[in-house]
Amino acid sequence: MSRPVVAHLVDDTTPGGVMRVLNHIVTSKEMAQTGQHQLHPVRRGALPFRRIKADVIVSHLAVSWRTLPSLIALRALHADLRLIHVEHSYTECSTALNVKHKHRFMTLLRTAYSLFDRVVAVSHDQARWFGARSLVARANLVVIPSTVDLDQFRVLATPGPEIRVVGAMGRLHRQKGFDTLIRAFVACEPRDMELHIHGDGPERAALETLAEGDPRIRFFGHSDDPVAVMATLDAVAVPSRWEAYGLVALEARAAGRLVLAANVDGLKDQISEGASGVACASVAAWSHALNGLAYLTVPQSARGVQNTRMAQREQQFAAQWETVISGQDVRHVMPRRVTRTPVQR
Amino acid sequence: MPLASIIVPAFNVEATLAETLTSLLGQSFDDFEVLVVDDGSSDSTLEVAGQFSDDARLRVISQPNRGLAGARNSGIAAAQSEYIGFCDADDLWTPGKLAAHVEQLNAQPRVGISYSGSALINDNSALIGQTQRPRLAGVTCAHMFKRNPVGNGSAAVMRRKALRDIAWRPDHESERDWYFDETFRQSEDIECWLRLMLTTDWDVRGVPGLLTRYRISSGGLSAATDRQLIAWERMVVKLQTLDPEFFRRHTPAARAYQLRYLSRRAVQDLDADGAWEFTRAWLGSSLRPLVEEPLKSAVTLAATGTLAVFGAPPLRAARALLSQPKRKDQ
Repeated sequence: MSRPVVAHLVDDTTPGGVMRVLNHIVTSKEMAQTGQHQLHPVRRGALPFRRIKADVIVSHLAVSWRTLPSLIALRALHADLRLIHVEHSYTECSTALNVKHKHRFMTLLRTAYSLFDRVVAVSHDQARWFGARSLVARANLVVIPSTVDLDQFRVLATPGPEIRVVGAMGRLHRQKGFDTLIRAFVACEPRDMELHIHGDGPERAALETLAEGDPRIRFFGHSDDPVAVMATLDAVAVPSRWEAYGLVALEARAAGRLVLAANVDGLKDQISEGASGVACASVAAWSHALNGLAYLTVPQSARGVQNTRMAQREQQFAAQWETVISGQDVRHVMPRRVTRTPVQR
Repeated sequence: MPLASIIVPAFNVEATLAETLTSLLGQSFDDFEVLVVDDGSSDSTLEVAGQFSDDARLRVISQPNRGLAGARNSGIAAAQSEYIGFCDADDLWTPGKLAAHVEQLNAQPRVGISYSGSALINDNSALIGQTQRPRLAGVTCAHMFKRNPVGNGSAAVMRRKALRDIAWRPDHESERDWYFDETFRQSEDIECWLRLMLTTDWDVRGVPGLLTRYRISSGGLSAATDRQLIAWERMVVKLQTLDPEFFRRHTPAARAYQLRYLSRRAVQDLDADGAWEFTRAWLGSSLRPLVEEPLKSAVTLAATGTLAVFGAPPLRAARALLSQPKRKDQ
């Protein structure tokens, strides 16, 4: 049988974690075996008028009341096709911090997700939240932790053993929590440790003001080469206020770097897989964690451990996508249909 | 395993504990346990609790003093129930309180904190005619921060799952998790409720009725209010990292409400200087309370003015007049 054509709809193509995962989907060797993956940029909220020529459609679209009509139209136009939605944005912490009318918002999510045959959670914690809030019927919920091609991170030279440079990467936006990290770094003790901030965004000026007077903190702007950036860091901090998955933490772990991560959302997955959790989002807790780094040395063997743990990552990702695309994951729903058929006759 | 646990932090409360326990053990809903956490008392608190030992629903645990938050955390760790209520050892629950919260928590699985209004009592357990009648539904983070609808430490019954979502364990803690922040000696309640709202999506809802009797002790206020203000500001500093924009927007008004509350307490203590100081401070912080709650704000201002101009006698007379009819319907 020929490989199915899989159209990936995306309405935000600005560089960032989502686009990097999408690029991985359409370019990786492993994914190519699961289907012909194509990127379909669309305008946010625009109503589709023509059928998309594909066997399976995967939505990476933003869900909101405004975009809901376009999602309904997408379903109506492709009533016979398998429709999958990947939720890259919403999590428990993003809801707590950004949503005023939570009931209305949950109703939106339930309505939107019910249009799809499958909803993909990008972390186990996000899936737990979907389940706890009954946002997705359990039989339709699939967990596929995000990934990118990690090979280039795996072959980076081992850092350390002493931790001199702590890095933070991402958009300089309130979501990423770099303000907390900078305040904590200003208050932390090790005088010869540096904090390197890689990224750009609306908070840059405010963050630079926060860091004023502390020569240990440096801003580098956005880089298109995350591997080159990672090579310059000994440890990576991910102090996000919400994070559906957290690619930076995954890449840092693949590179054998120590990772400090906030104990929120998808980062909880990474903490359970070896990142160090900072339990509480306070400046004091982060300062304490940064002070701790000065007494740590990067265990030169940790790299091996991390690698064996993540060696199969891309293969697992492709295998999980294969089952979702092919519909083989429905087997646990099948018995019910089988028993019902004779009654209908 | 009972459905509900009521945790009673008890530190040197020999005078009031018996009345509190009587009110709790007399609840109309009967599938519950009472957990008295003796927090290193040096008076006869333990003996008072012991007088109730023939009631199998009562458990007493003792620990070296860790403060109110520490006692509550130990109580939560020892409780096994799905629903966990809190009652300070000088406050009282009306007989139907637990039943009302259990009904709400059963019916609304998204509710993490269920609370009620309170009627204030004095040292003799008499109603003083003042009440806390909070908003019961549609509570947002801003509302929690500014008005704290839960109101006091004896009003809430929480769902264990919600508590689990805000649990953490500091590095130096070797015994059990923290839910309330034990570094706080005041404002530990609001810190906990607000943190829950800023970090999880649990609902916070009230049940109708003044189901808690909340004791206001007279005197000794001034030292306590300073500490309370410091603790409140420390809470803002601690939590603002969660959402700086939220705190930038709402802190002035929330601080004004906090100061207005303290000015009311000072009026109640007939402390003219204190009332005047707090009034100036809250008007300086934000005028929002005047817009959002004009009546209550005006009454507070009028009482402060009366106290400043005429001294204590008119207020004392007014209070005597107001509180008499209330006492009858107790």
